[in-house]
Amino acid sequence: MLNVSHLTKKYHRFTANENLTFMVADGETAVLAGPNGAGKSTAIKCIAGLLRFEGEIEICGFKNKSREAKQILGYVPEIPAPFELLTVWEHMEFIARAYRLTDWEDRARELVRRMELTDKKDKLGMELSKGMQQKISICCALLPRPRAVLFDEPLVGLDPHAIKELKAMLGEMKKDGTTIIISTHMLESVEDIWDRVFIMMNGRIEAERERKKVEESGENLEELFFSITEKNREDKD
Amino acid sequence: MGAISYLLRKNLKNEILDTLRHPLKLGVYVFVAVSMLYGAVAGFTAGGSGQGIADRLGDTAALQILSGGYLAILFFISIPVLLKGLSSGTSFFSLCDVNNMFVAPISKRRLLLYGIGRQLATMVVLVITFSAYGGMLITMFRLTALQTFLLISGIILMLTLVQLITLMIFCLASCHPVRARVIRYMIYAEAFFAVVAVIAYIFTHQFGQETICNAVSQPLLEYIPFIGWMHALVFGIINNDLWRIVLSSAALVLLAVAALVIFLRTDLDFFEDVLSRAESYHEFRESIREGKVSDSMMMGDREIKLRKKGVRKGEGASAIFFKHLLEGSRRSRFMFFNINTIVLLFVAFVIGFGVTQAIPGSNRTIIYLSTAVICSYVQFFFSASGDWVKELTKPYIYLIPDGAVKKLIMASATGLIKPYTDGIITFGLLGIVFGGNIFDIISAAIAYGSFGTLYISANILAQRITGLESSGGVFITFYMSLIVAVMIPGIAAGIVVLSTFAGSLGYMATTLIAVPVLVWNIFISFIIFFACRNLLNNTE
Repeated sequence: MLNVSHLTKKYHRFTANENLTFMVADGETAVLAGPNGAGKSTAIKCIAGLLRFEGEIEICGFKNKSREAKQILGYVPEIPAPFELLTVWEHMEFIARAYRLTDWEDRARELVRRMELTDKKDKLGMELSKGMQQKISICCALLPRPRAVLFDEPLVGLDPHAIKELKAMLGEMKKDGTTIIISTHMLESVEDIWDRVFIMMNGRIEAERERKKVEESGENLEELFFSITEKNREDKD
Repeated sequence: MGAISYLLRKNLKNEILDTLRHPLKLGVYVFVAVSMLYGAVAGFTAGGSGQGIADRLGDTAALQILSGGYLAILFFISIPVLLKGLSSGTSFFSLCDVNNMFVAPISKRRLLLYGIGRQLATMVVLVITFSAYGGMLITMFRLTALQTFLLISGIILMLTLVQLITLMIFCLASCHPVRARVIRYMIYAEAFFAVVAVIAYIFTHQFGQETICNAVSQPLLEYIPFIGWMHALVFGIINNDLWRIVLSSAALVLLAVAALVIFLRTDLDFFEDVLSRAESYHEFRESIREGKVSDSMMMGDREIKLRKKGVRKGEGASAIFFKHLLEGSRRSRFMFFNINTIVLLFVAFVIGFGVTQAIPGSNRTIIYLSTAVICSYVQFFFSASGDWVKELTKPYIYLIPDGAVKKLIMASATGLIKPYTDGIITFGLLGIVFGGNIFDIISAAIAYGSFGTLYISANILAQRITGLESSGGVFITFYMSLIVAVMIPGIAAGIVVLSTFAGSLGYMATTLIAVPVLVWNIFISFIIFFACRNLLNNTE
């Protein structure tokens, strides 16, 4: 479970996130949607503990910067950053050691296989394309079997097979009760998997909807998104 | 020129406003500017009296040494740029220039003027920076302020000229592999000629200080195209030699005009090459800005053989250290023995032989003391960035569930170990060659290593205080000032201990100074590590 309470993030005078409060339950997939500059990635980075912020963030009851929270959190950054001099497999080993995992090899092999990196497992990070680097990031984030995972634009740069596999993995994690947050502005990419959506604009959450309610009203995610963001723009104009 | 002048004006204005909006950045700029100004003014007003090279060796020998050193600097700033430019063009333009201006209806000629103008602006900043060293030149070589200004201006002029020559040879060599090879050989020949001329002179004359001074300042070297000519121009003015001035300046002007004409007359689609150069430069600059000097950039096309696979050891934070060992072994087969070690050995042995020649029969302790002092200074230039800086640019170190201090120490560990191994190798070999007190050798080695620890901790502290990129000029100046402030108590304690026990233990002066220094360096470093543990709390 993830609890965000009154999250505010400021860069000098610019407010990137303003008083965000939301909760994502176990086994729920939440989408942070919004146009460019809405503050989605900043919020994700605050939750991951990479940025300073005001407010409180708890991951499964632990403060997000605590060691306990780090142990159960997975994060897939927007820009992949593998270690250039480590092979694909050594990334897995490094994560296993850093997170003190035991019996991780089968899990790592499975992740590497599903991301079609098996034949690349002895390739160095610097020898991989951007898409493959993104696949390593995903494998690294999921290896410790996190109870909460943050994806920042995870599908950008992935090939169709990897997108299909990642969606399947998201489904499996959901069944296992993992809390998932995906930040994206590519709504069609999360159409099949979302349970809850937070539509962000100008650093604020403008709307929060549950899938069930949206579907009952006959809307879809894209219509909902535009009805909120366009209305907001018109109000401003 | 409307669009270009608008761009220049706006860039300048926004740069100034941005600095004014960031008080810390402004403060650091002011601090650096005042320090540099003070250094320059102090040197200029102190005049040429003191304990410089001129005082020890005489004016003629000092000027010869200066002449040789200056020629070496001109080579150093020219040859690598020319070789690089041969394959990839010039660095006049940034990626945003290429993306926005190369596609705009602006003539090549104007674009070139814009590029050169920007380069000249950079040179102005360089002039100011170099002028801080002017005071040192005056003191060491008993120069006048005007002569110092001339030396600095020559370097700046050389940097600009090299850019123009780069453009020319790029035009001549692009799409002509044979020409490119010939030009490459010509560039190598410049350096080869200088080395051969110096060696030949030394071998044909009686070996000694005077011969070496004559060899590095022989007139023959001034015939070397453009590098020698620039040298002739600067030293012609210093020596009031009219013919040297006229001939060298004529040759340089002709070369610059030829370079420009060839560039403008060549119907060459240079945009693609400039784009490629600008893209890689942009990537490099962005990486530097983020403190991320990537291995692929530094290692070029070198193929890495995977001899050893797997991190193998470590849990939690210590996995970072063992990962660094693995990465280090892939960068170089001899992980802790690299070019820095060789440079250090060279410096140490030069000092060792120098001291034994200068003070025959002196106590060996002075060798280790002077070597430790100078090598610790040299080490500063090796320690600007390390594995830990690269680690901060990736998310993993922040996400690993372990203590912040432990992570910081483990991430810095390879950088902490390296100076100690260098120290043991260097002072161990010095000990074998020159003999002396074992305590002096050990304490000098460890004191040298402790300066590495101090440099890393001061770097962490400087990043924590300023939040600036770790390679910027302003950061480095601030970082240097911080190092001086942090190391003073240790050195003061060493001097106190030495003066207290000099009577009974004077034969091991190195140990007397080194022990308090190293104890202080390690103590204050770990205090800094602990105080800066929050560095890993977030990426900001």
